[in-house]
Amino acid sequence: MEDEIRRHCKGLLSEKKIDVIWGLREKDGFVAPYLFQNPEELDSLVVSSKYPLSFTCRPSKETILSILQKKKPGLKIGVIARGCDERALIELAKSEQINLDLIEIIGFACDREQAQECVCFKPFPQNLKFGTKVEGIAEEKAFQDLMATELKGRLKFWHDQLSKCIKCYGCRNACPMCFCKDCRMEQSVYTETGWLPPEFPLFQFVRFYHMADRCIECGECEKACPMDIPLRKITKYLRSKMKEIFGYQAGLDPKQKSPILTTLDEDPLKEFQDEI
Amino acid sequence: MANNFEPQIVGFLCNWCTYVAADLAGVARLQYPPNVRVIRMMCSGAVSPLYIISALKKGADGVFIGGCHIGDCHYQRGNHSTLKRVAIVKPLLEALGIDSRRLRLEWISASEGPQFSKVLAEFVDQIKELGPNPLKGT
Repeated sequence: MEDEIRRHCKGLLSEKKIDVIWGLREKDGFVAPYLFQNPEELDSLVVSSKYPLSFTCRPSKETILSILQKKKPGLKIGVIARGCDERALIELAKSEQINLDLIEIIGFACDREQAQECVCFKPFPQNLKFGTKVEGIAEEKAFQDLMATELKGRLKFWHDQLSKCIKCYGCRNACPMCFCKDCRMEQSVYTETGWLPPEFPLFQFVRFYHMADRCIECGECEKACPMDIPLRKITKYLRSKMKEIFGYQAGLDPKQKSPILTTLDEDPLKEFQDEI
Repeated sequence: MANNFEPQIVGFLCNWCTYVAADLAGVARLQYPPNVRVIRMMCSGAVSPLYIISALKKGADGVFIGGCHIGDCHYQRGNHSTLKRVAIVKPLLEALGIDSRRLRLEWISASEGPQFSKVLAEFVDQIKELGPNPLKGT
């Protein structure tokens, strides 16, 4: 599959269909994101699904793609993308961080093992060009056991888990969707600065709520967490609730706007209004 | 303990509807439980989820949000976002182990003074049943 992708990318670059390709490069035994500009460089291109997403927004508070698009308007960028990469691109485009029209997604599918490791619900992109689709893992599995316990147990569980937090901001920094220039989690009004652990549950509550309609389930936050807090139990639960209440899933359709952001619907949540 | 438990409730009331309704209930001398500490907001849509969790964290046993009926909002669609926000905050509270019945959103218009006292009495009874907020002092 790697050779196929290399050949495809070389063709695209030499025929000038696209100007640059954003992917992973191996050099001296290390793999890092790289912007390929010449077809000759593409021999060192690596295609692997085990490396993290390369669209994180920190520390510049912008993704590399939005910086590129701002500096070189009209630049056609090819991006080698897995399922999660593509969802991140779609969601970034919805938030007007990048222009999806100028981005060519070169999609490849992850294998079953990788999908299981990431607990990925959709381990293939919509623009699938290489590899074969494997079925994703149902989202419910991640939070079923937690939601089956009583409220008291859940509170204790989260109190124990979230008290481990060392406020390293790893979850936010690794997140492809956290592009806010002014992060609530840094403001002393909401979180006491210079104090550990952060107040339960305010600190994480901010992120959980902000991610409810944006989370694309790439799992980078949980992988980045040095204290192994099972953050995805809640992000997955909220994602399933968004689907249940609003019929909305982030990262799948570039035309579908987040229901939290718009108030243009005449009579929102008709069935839900009786419940409250 | 359970019998003499007097809950503390923080009420975020919209300036244009529910706050006026609370005023009306007072003027009409309608009885309602004195457990509610009212905070007047310009719109129920101005109630950030952070206010809700902060109130619960700092010891409130319940949070009440009162706004105009859908379609009557002084700012056209302010209460739409309140509704959508509460719809997401409730499952989030549940997932963290806090009973979502501690948060209540109600549409009460300026002329519904009796409705206001009725709803608050109901809510206070509900919180009394649920007991003190487990988040207090954690």
